[in-house]
Amino acid sequence: MTKPVNLREISLGVMMEITEEEAYSHVVLRETLEKYQYLEKRDRAFISRLVEGTLEHMIQIDYIIEQFSNVPVYNMKPLIRNLLRISVYQLKYMDSVPDSAVCNEAVKLAQKKGFYNLKGFVNGVLRNTARRLSQVRYPDPEEEPLHYLSVKYSFPIWMINKWVEQFGYEMTERICRDSHMGRGTVVRCNLAKASVEEIMQDLVSQGISVRRHPYLDYALEIANYNFIGSVSAFRKGWIQVQDISSMLVSEIAAPNWGDYCIDVCAAPGGKSLHIAEKLMGSGYVEARDISERKVRMMQENIERTGAINIRAMRMDATVLDEESRGRADIVLADVPCSGFGVIRKKQDIKYKMSEKQQQDIIRLQRRILVNVQEYVRPGGTLVYSTCTIGADENQCNIKWFLENFPFRLESIDPYICDALKSRTTAGGYIQLLPGVHQSDGFFIARLRKL
Amino acid sequence: MALRQIRIYGDEKLKKVCRPVQMMTPRTKMLIKDMLDTMYDSNGVGLAAPQVGILKRIVVIDIGDEHGAYVLINPEILETSGEQTGQEGCLSLPGQAGMVTRPNYVKVKALDEDMNEIVVEGEELLARAICHECDHLEGIMYVEKVEGDLFEVTDEPEEEPEEDEEVQ
Repeated sequence: MTKPVNLREISLGVMMEITEEEAYSHVVLRETLEKYQYLEKRDRAFISRLVEGTLEHMIQIDYIIEQFSNVPVYNMKPLIRNLLRISVYQLKYMDSVPDSAVCNEAVKLAQKKGFYNLKGFVNGVLRNTARRLSQVRYPDPEEEPLHYLSVKYSFPIWMINKWVEQFGYEMTERICRDSHMGRGTVVRCNLAKASVEEIMQDLVSQGISVRRHPYLDYALEIANYNFIGSVSAFRKGWIQVQDISSMLVSEIAAPNWGDYCIDVCAAPGGKSLHIAEKLMGSGYVEARDISERKVRMMQENIERTGAINIRAMRMDATVLDEESRGRADIVLADVPCSGFGVIRKKQDIKYKMSEKQQQDIIRLQRRILVNVQEYVRPGGTLVYSTCTIGADENQCNIKWFLENFPFRLESIDPYICDALKSRTTAGGYIQLLPGVHQSDGFFIARLRKL
Repeated sequence: MALRQIRIYGDEKLKKVCRPVQMMTPRTKMLIKDMLDTMYDSNGVGLAAPQVGILKRIVVIDIGDEHGAYVLINPEILETSGEQTGQEGCLSLPGQAGMVTRPNYVKVKALDEDMNEIVVEGEELLARAICHECDHLEGIMYVEKVEGDLFEVTDEPEEEPEEDEEVQ
């Protein structure tokens, strides 16, 4: 008989790709689960939980490992470091796995991967961790408040520093804490196909829990379903998975009957489809993105929802499209960003981003803005958005933009619910913060071309 | 170390009922050693004599736990209980696997290499391996018990031990 698949070995391979080869966690996990689709649901769930959980708590896990190892984590062999990480995660966060099994499996894996002479090291660190986990001393919140946040919530210290400076200590803690909270999936009702009541009934009849989202009357939060493809309302094109923050973009864009809209970084197409729906079949939406794969993904979404006034096309937003100059009533610029607002969903973002990379991203955002502002007709609207928090990619970019181009900010209060209104919304933009607002972290600004 | 060639699904030897071993001979001792070598070499957890073309009631099993290798001669399953459904593959059908339901607990009586009677109890993977290998002695392959279709599986590559490992 052949050896059965080793779930920890698969998870270790995934961790290696994510932490050592710069691959994105959601991509590697998706590909791995596709490759092992014959595994039982329980086994697939184990792999996802182990990888996502380890990433979620990785700074804390490394801190724990260093209490019991005389070699710092960054000095270890990559394979050993990741093996210890997934093992300590199981010790601390997975009650269903006995400690002895964690240690034995790790030792066997070390040996199998060719580190025979490190078996003792792995065994020693893990058995000590298992025995003394409850005695680990974490940084003191009074003496080292920043280090405390960093270890408790597994955020790099540079990020903590930056946020504490901008948002204050307590708000930073709320933002960090929120990234560890589970939440339901937010979906948008496709009102062209069914009413909110019909859709809610359909979901409930499938045993799915449904809650109306407080920010928009056609947004629902759903939970207790296996995977979205099995939800009948989804297959019928009645609902689209989309965070509330992203729906607010189309609300704030507020298209009028017959408008021509260009969404310059559109994939996976949620905002474009939303605008197309709001246009009620009139006007036209061009959903552009840079890669063939993204365009295909958008085409699938368009077909499923049956919208006719929208087209997905491949176009690079950093290259000026002469044809579009001065033609659009609305331009959506949901630019690539550091993604700090969606860490809850993509935990590896916090380890992959550095201050330098963020500077590169800001340059890219500005290059895109320089081009796409050309597409807005005089009097037309530009909606700038990011799924990140912090002034650098948001308020600072807007300030720079207003200094260089003939636009002015315009109040977004007519388009949002009272709970979201503030001084800044009257001034033309909103920064949604995780832990404060019931949404991802997000930034939206509405600009009118003079 | 001597490796024997593993017979592939379809081979007539894999369809035959095997004969009991009457006495231990140097030849049989050699066969057992070769079976272990062959099993470890192909990264298996169990191997039955008919898989290397010998129609004798001998199986070797090593699921990688503390016990190490089991050699079971003339095994007889005394007792089973419970149920487990999971993926199963066979060295005689490389690159494929299927879902098979087996008892979760098995008690088996057999002779060891010195022809002394032993009783082995196993749960989960060990129980599955005992059932799988004992089936081979009756000419039965797991494919006859698969629920649904067989599927392709890819082996995770084994890494070669590194030379000059520095101590961490």
